[in-house]
Amino acid sequence: MRISVMSQMHRSFSIDLPSLIPLQLPSRRETHLWYVIPDEVKSTSLLKRYSQLLSPIEKDGVDQMRGDELKKNALLARTLVRTTIARYQTNKEVDPRSLMFKKNVYGKPEVDWQNCNNQPLHFNISHTDSLIACGVTVHVPVGIDVEDKERKIKHDVLAFAKRFYSADEVNVLATILDPEVQRKEFIKLWTLKEAYVKALGKGFSAAPFNTFTIQSMPGTEGAYNLCKTSEVTADPPEETKKCNGGWKFALFDLADSHYAAVCTEDDQANEGAPTKIIVRKTIPFVEDQLISERIFL
Amino acid sequence: MASLSTSSLSFKAPSIQSTRTSQVLRKPLSFQPISFGRFQSSKNLRLQISCAAKPETVQKVSDIVREQLALSADTALTAESKFSALGADSLDTVEIVMALEEKFNISVEEADAQNITTIQEAADLIEDLAQKKPAA
Repeated sequence: MRISVMSQMHRSFSIDLPSLIPLQLPSRRETHLWYVIPDEVKSTSLLKRYSQLLSPIEKDGVDQMRGDELKKNALLARTLVRTTIARYQTNKEVDPRSLMFKKNVYGKPEVDWQNCNNQPLHFNISHTDSLIACGVTVHVPVGIDVEDKERKIKHDVLAFAKRFYSADEVNVLATILDPEVQRKEFIKLWTLKEAYVKALGKGFSAAPFNTFTIQSMPGTEGAYNLCKTSEVTADPPEETKKCNGGWKFALFDLADSHYAAVCTEDDQANEGAPTKIIVRKTIPFVEDQLISERIFL
Repeated sequence: MASLSTSSLSFKAPSIQSTRTSQVLRKPLSFQPISFGRFQSSKNLRLQISCAAKPETVQKVSDIVREQLALSADTALTAESKFSALGADSLDTVEIVMALEEKFNISVEEADAQNITTIQEAADLIEDLAQKKPAA
């Protein structure tokens, strides 16, 4: 008896899933940032529903995580990606289960649109123990990184920076006397640098952290610039810096507990134009909450 | 059956720099690690004629990983344990690499640092680098 009920559910499982509220695509100059707070998702039946969305490979991935909390967060991350992207398909209702994913040649996750016309949607996810975020853009690659503001670094912050960051970034950090402020700046820089490498999508070896500098734009709050360092072969060897406008950065507080960095490729048509970031908190299938809309120069 | 997802296979030679070792023949199924939000650049594979890292090295690496990730005593760690499965993000991985550099007195290139995904891989890289150092 039970078996036939189960197989009935499998055949008509679209009845079992509530529908997702569709979303308007971001405009070219917008990034949508969605986040989930794992602690706010407690319902076991809801989590069970989420697990039904995942592909077999994703389920394996969740199972591989060591510990219930890590498993839950892995589940929420995949759920957030699938449901969010499915909601943006405004032409027709898309079953989040039907989405396929692939990795680009460097390993960056992307949607595999299969035979559908190439969709302009880009996404990137990042998570910590207590927050899972997904950034969405159209037409331009996006990279995001979130970090807990209170994250403690086990090593000496300056030693870490000297080892991995650029010389200019080390200099900026070295001038900060208060160790707490210094640690926070270090974390902010980390999120910005991670977001850039993830937006680039070519793996970490394509942009080693010490080959580029991210610096705040004077007179702005939360806007940053990218400067790439390259060594010009000369005697003595010189370092030239190229600070181009090819990438836009934004750094802001998220949920009072995290720093979030968003990096998007500067669309040639809109080069230099300000970018808007719309932040929403969500529990998939349950509720959305608009948190903020902010313009970054 | 191992599926090789990279395009180059090279035999180990002392002069080859900064390639990751991977126990190709030992773990045929683990070629597509799932990473959520973290992704890896393509790996270089080498056929290793020499043995895997010593158990003591693996143990020392496990201790460092356990400390960095603040794992409880009852989280069992094996050589095959994946950092991502233990909840490590890229910042954790870099901190682990820094701790390994300090402990073993080696220097890891950044590309290699980001490519380490398991305790075994870290141990192999350590022994590889330790071997390359001129005798004290």
